[in-house]
Amino acid sequence: MIGALQGLGLLAAAAGAGFFLAGTVGLIRFPDTTSRLHALTKADNLGLGLVVLGLLPFAGSLGAALKLLLVWGLVLLAGGTVAQMIAARVRGTEPGA
Amino acid sequence: MAGVGRFAAFLGLWLVLSGSDPAGLVVGLAAAALAARISLRLLPPAGGAVRPGAVLRLGLLLLRDSLAAGLDIARRALDPRLPIRPGLVPVPLRLSSGRDAFRLVASLQPGTLPVGMNAEGRLLVHALDTRLPVAAEAGRTEALVAAALGRDAPHG
Repeated sequence: MIGALQGLGLLAAAAGAGFFLAGTVGLIRFPDTTSRLHALTKADNLGLGLVVLGLLPFAGSLGAALKLLLVWGLVLLAGGTVAQMIAARVRGTEPGA
Repeated sequence: MAGVGRFAAFLGLWLVLSGSDPAGLVVGLAAAALAARISLRLLPPAGGAVRPGAVLRLGLLLLRDSLAAGLDIARRALDPRLPIRPGLVPVPLRLSSGRDAFRLVASLQPGTLPVGMNAEGRLLVHALDTRLPVAAEAGRTEALVAAALGRDAPHG
């Protein structure tokens, strides 16, 4: 038996996986590199956030929970920064970007 | 003292990563001190004290916008008609310091991704849908970032 919190956690993690899927669909369907960056950064940010939230009830200790949150924070920082660097790099190399 | 605050933040980071094992703590203290020194060199404190209340509001905005941005992307990506109209929108920036913080926040907000500066000194923001009020939204975010960093609120 799993507790109610764990059950909610599984739901959140499943929803997070759904956003990763949607982001991947965007990556394939969006027409240019910069638009694809939107799909990656936004959907993965929320997807990972939900996965981390869902894993918190399973973390077992405060330290592990903080580590999970730290992973999310670092991915936000890296994702937001790298997306801008890639966007700056492709600027002007394709129409509409 | 900016250095003390940064040292505490790096030490906190170390504790989260490595736990509070006493043997490791010696290395952690040294690493945090070194990291604080280097960060002061690379990113000198730029006046103005960080305001906790505004930081909290910015954090809540970031959470809300993360949710909105993810839902927005999922909706557009999965819609058979692919309702996007990508394009660059020039946004006048009033913030002189703390621009990197603003750009990071903006890159996580729905439908916007800062790309670089244009010749007129405006921030070029790539919008997934140029029909949305990109510049107005950026202005509000900029004011909130300025408040959080304790900068003078941009006027105009």
